[in-house]
Amino acid sequence: MKPKSKPKYWRSLSELEGDSEFQEFVEREFHSPTEQTPLSSQGRRRFMQLMGASFALAGCRWQEEKLLPHTTQPQGLIPGVPVNYATFMDVGGVATGLLVKSYDGRPIKIEGNTLDSVSQGGTGTFHQAAILGLYDPDRSSKSLQGKTPSTPDAFDAALLDAFAAAVKKGGAGFFVLSQASSSPSLARLRAELLKQAPMARWVSYEAADAAGPRAGTQLAFGKALTPMYRPENADVLVALDSDFITSAFPGGIGHARAVASRRDPDQGKMSRLYALEASLTEIGSLADHRVAVAPSKIAAIAAYLDAQLSAGRAAPGAQTAPDEAAVGGAQIKKVLDVIAKDLLANAGKSLVVVGSGHAPEVHALVHRINFVLGNVGSTLQFRETGDTLAGGVDELASLVADMEGGKVGTLLILGGNPAYDAPADIGFVSALAKVPASFHVGLYVDETASLCKWHTPLTHFLEAWGDARAVDGSYRIAQPLIESVLGGRSELQILAKLLHLPKQDGQSVVRDSLGLSVAKLGSGADKAFRKAIHDGFVGESATALEVELQQIGAINLPASTDLEVIFEVDPALYDGRFANNAWLQELPHPLSKLTWDNAALVAPDTAKKYGLSDAHPCTVTLDGRSVTLPCLVAPGQAEGTIMLALGYGREQVGVVGGFKAKDVLSVGANTYAIRTSKAPHFALGAQVKAAGSRVELAVTQHLWAIDAIGKQGEDEREDVLVREATLGNYQEFKKQHPGHAAHGAPHPGDIKGKVHHPPKLNLWNGPVSYDGHKWGMSVDLNKCSGCSACIIACQSENNIAVVGKSEVARGRELTWLRVERYYKGDDKNAEVRQQPVMCQQCESAPCEQVCPVGATMHSAEGLNDMVYNRCIGTRYCSNNCPYKVRRFNYRNYNLEFYGTTPYSGTDDPRAKLKAMAFNPEVTVRGRGVMEKCTFCVQRIQNTKIQAKNNKRPIEDGEIKTACEQACPTGAIIFGDLNDKTSRVQAAHNKSRAYELLQELNNRPRVNYLARISNPHPELSTQDGHSSEHH
Amino acid sequence: MKLFVFPRWANKTRQLLGLAMGGAPVYLTAFVWYGFSPKTTDVGYQPKQPVPYSHALHAGKMGIDCRYCHNTVDQASHAAVPPTATCMNCHKLVHPESTRLLPVRESAATGLPVEWVKVHDLPDYVYFNHSAHVTRGVGCVSCHGRVDQMEVVHQDKPLSMSWCLDCHRNPEPNLRPPEEVTNMNWKAPADPTSYGATLREQNNINPPTDCSTCHR
Repeated sequence: MKPKSKPKYWRSLSELEGDSEFQEFVEREFHSPTEQTPLSSQGRRRFMQLMGASFALAGCRWQEEKLLPHTTQPQGLIPGVPVNYATFMDVGGVATGLLVKSYDGRPIKIEGNTLDSVSQGGTGTFHQAAILGLYDPDRSSKSLQGKTPSTPDAFDAALLDAFAAAVKKGGAGFFVLSQASSSPSLARLRAELLKQAPMARWVSYEAADAAGPRAGTQLAFGKALTPMYRPENADVLVALDSDFITSAFPGGIGHARAVASRRDPDQGKMSRLYALEASLTEIGSLADHRVAVAPSKIAAIAAYLDAQLSAGRAAPGAQTAPDEAAVGGAQIKKVLDVIAKDLLANAGKSLVVVGSGHAPEVHALVHRINFVLGNVGSTLQFRETGDTLAGGVDELASLVADMEGGKVGTLLILGGNPAYDAPADIGFVSALAKVPASFHVGLYVDETASLCKWHTPLTHFLEAWGDARAVDGSYRIAQPLIESVLGGRSELQILAKLLHLPKQDGQSVVRDSLGLSVAKLGSGADKAFRKAIHDGFVGESATALEVELQQIGAINLPASTDLEVIFEVDPALYDGRFANNAWLQELPHPLSKLTWDNAALVAPDTAKKYGLSDAHPCTVTLDGRSVTLPCLVAPGQAEGTIMLALGYGREQVGVVGGFKAKDVLSVGANTYAIRTSKAPHFALGAQVKAAGSRVELAVTQHLWAIDAIGKQGEDEREDVLVREATLGNYQEFKKQHPGHAAHGAPHPGDIKGKVHHPPKLNLWNGPVSYDGHKWGMSVDLNKCSGCSACIIACQSENNIAVVGKSEVARGRELTWLRVERYYKGDDKNAEVRQQPVMCQQCESAPCEQVCPVGATMHSAEGLNDMVYNRCIGTRYCSNNCPYKVRRFNYRNYNLEFYGTTPYSGTDDPRAKLKAMAFNPEVTVRGRGVMEKCTFCVQRIQNTKIQAKNNKRPIEDGEIKTACEQACPTGAIIFGDLNDKTSRVQAAHNKSRAYELLQELNNRPRVNYLARISNPHPELSTQDGHSSEHH
Repeated sequence: MKLFVFPRWANKTRQLLGLAMGGAPVYLTAFVWYGFSPKTTDVGYQPKQPVPYSHALHAGKMGIDCRYCHNTVDQASHAAVPPTATCMNCHKLVHPESTRLLPVRESAATGLPVEWVKVHDLPDYVYFNHSAHVTRGVGCVSCHGRVDQMEVVHQDKPLSMSWCLDCHRNPEPNLRPPEEVTNMNWKAPADPTSYGATLREQNNINPPTDCSTCHR
């Protein structure tokens, strides 16, 4: 059945073209429901192979359980009552403050620290998934000498000997390679090391190179500074190939919150957001205007903007405006003219951000633009870089040159995995073989560890003391949540021992650094230190510096070539360090919705031009090096570009990410193989050709497509699921309908779907009056960027199993919350709309009516309770759910992945360690059981009990669902609809609130707030749908 | 058209049916006998504990309040089993040489816990919270029986779902003033049901019967 017209919102090219593949997805409730997955298939074997015959039958009756009390109860500890501890996670040398929930001494859930001045309680996918990383049995647990097991003492003895020998020569030949770091303690120990061994060298390397912005300040202001973006002050934001709101961007979580705070059409002045980017990104999902441009055009675009703006502000030393072809054509030039006009109109209240990977000259130019506009000081501030390590490619290249030249006698690698993620052209691996004494300290026995002479395990960040700086320069402190489970030691401990510090434990090292770096402490030091570890931070953000603009030379524009390759760190695996984390591997990519793989993303026209097709492998060649990976035809990708995600193709990490020696295939392809030190972000002059026949890609974009009474019906009614309006129309509507309440009342013309339905009648009278609590949720489509932190948070909170690639491809993934990604527009200039969908907790729920065993029941507070122990797996409920939010355990996924469940019991130490990640507050489901979002009912119940114990009412915002807590932009709000002052009530009363599939009269408790865009009048196009009713 | 012919073995169905009908009463009786016996519901379950601790002596004869040992009962879902230190508070001086207390002294010396055996063991998909009951005025005795008379603790009530629901649907007979929860001898001053109704009104007690109250 082919739809009559092209849909306005579409999930994939196959839907846009209305081919049969998508039809099949919509019409079939259960995608391939009955086939059994062959056990030998790759995706399954990944987890299964290391499971021994460790499942002894426990007998027919439940086991005798033992109660093991403490011998002496620690003060203040109540068994079974979780305690939260503040700490932080450092990714790329920038700290994000966290609160970790510890259940009887076992960390089980990571949340954002609401006291944190930067992230303000938001988190990203990396932070949420760290719990699974902590309990990863593939982490290194033994020191190694070569391949033979050794001891930490032997490692230390060898390292100390090497250092002592180097110190005699003034330190010559002793090299340390670390990752990017802002840790004051590490800086202190580095200074101490260089004091004891002045000729030693300390080098840092990070694959996600963020040296550009800093080098840019050197050019623009004559001084290396660290930029601090303040998007909350910006009325106009321009993102030039910069997804600065992701967790992979330094301080991205804080930026996301700040950007979202200005995207509320009902409160304050709404900002306008332009995104010019090659691939679709999170900032592109939020943008009012999103334009696909190749990264090689960004320099010209910046120069063009500079020319326009400098003319407008009469600033000397401007670039000459490049011609139309250089910026990418007439269409883009038109957009740039409008942007320039808008920036000038909002001078001092605007912000231009360029991607970290771009050249220092481009950064300098963008700094200049902000300076000329008077944004420096309000939306953009600079602080001292201080003693932070940025981790540049050049540093690593010079180290490799020294290694090749025989100058490196001892190399101590502190974390990081350069043998895997170093640029392909500098030859790190071969150079490493020439180092006589190499020591590796790492979380895994990884690619680098196996090439070093010595290895010792590193602690996970939840196991160690540490410190670092947030993006605004304020000090963060980390405390261990648990004793090192696999016997690792932190970098600080190892260095303290190496340097013979008087106090060598992590706490003393951190505390001493704090005493030195925060002068205010003094006599009340102990109290101050305790407050610091309680809060997770000390002191204020760094002071903003005054800067003076220097003359910038004419910028070199990259030669225009046919095909360019873009390298980006993966939003889930980052630079590859999280490759063994199954939650992150199974997380659908926020834009491409690809799981368990990376792919070459190309625009439809580019694919056509080079004979590439979706899900068929292609070989990308760059400077004679090539990599073969599946092609994914991606709407919205800039033409003539190929986007390659880094972080995949690990050959030595573990049973999830890949381990060649144990016959576990890598997940995805290693794209570092063609990445060079000259062009780490984007490279020109690539070749691509098709290479072979179709492969399986586990893409979730089709799965769980909501069928609104047939696809054809949906096409006629267009925007029932995602609704949007422009700010102008919305404000006009609000003026005409003062005191408007959402339910049943009309929406502004372009929000309202063209749904015609008879008067809504109930099939039966609900027996429930909801006079106690009435839980509800609202999801603001104006704030959701699709980052997917909520998905991992939900997975961690609710013990949701990992199913593996082949099962995802069969539509059997279990995540309760999915983020729907809709494309809008044509496939060249596709825009994206993100929509998180969880159980809508209908008051008149279709699922409840069809369960033959009463396993899904309505609660007095309006929740659709799911009773796992009653479920017999008919799947009628899922069949009857129009929102497709129910998930079925086709196999015993938890047993397969963890090797155990709380009920099966095991003696396998690997399984025991993994099972520590389970949240004891939530039942672990087995095979044949339906499951779905519960609104985190365990949190509701526990808070209700606590509140009533203390004879007090529940405050609004006291119960936060896992998704709400994780959301960096505050798009999700949960609360009591009977509380007339609650935030969720206010959200439901907004004029832009709507229910999904309202015409079915299910009365869902989740309301969506329509997306209100704020387009520039000169760019707003009539997007082809009229406001009048049919 | 080809007619369907029953295969030869179908002749045996009658005999088999007879056998099944004869067996059914036996099966049903066995099913009910076993399924509803206290052995299955675990009433009377009385495992051997590592230390012959007598509740009858401590809680009954000496009248130590339940909360001296189970001190988190009004704050948490678990009514904590006391740490060894709690035992040693007294037994440093009282019977310091007793062989029966050897495991306790060993635990105090080594720091390894005494391995008590759990008596009241609910299925893992049930989330029971002690504090929610104790602070509302449900006495210990209502669910645990006369622990103050037990030499060795046994399970006194079935702890089945219907047993839980009986009280959640009709809590009045089991309500008492919250300060009397640990009093094993407490008697309602008036008719328990009407007195319970007053307490229910007073303390705003509305036990939910939603699935998610206990299952999640």
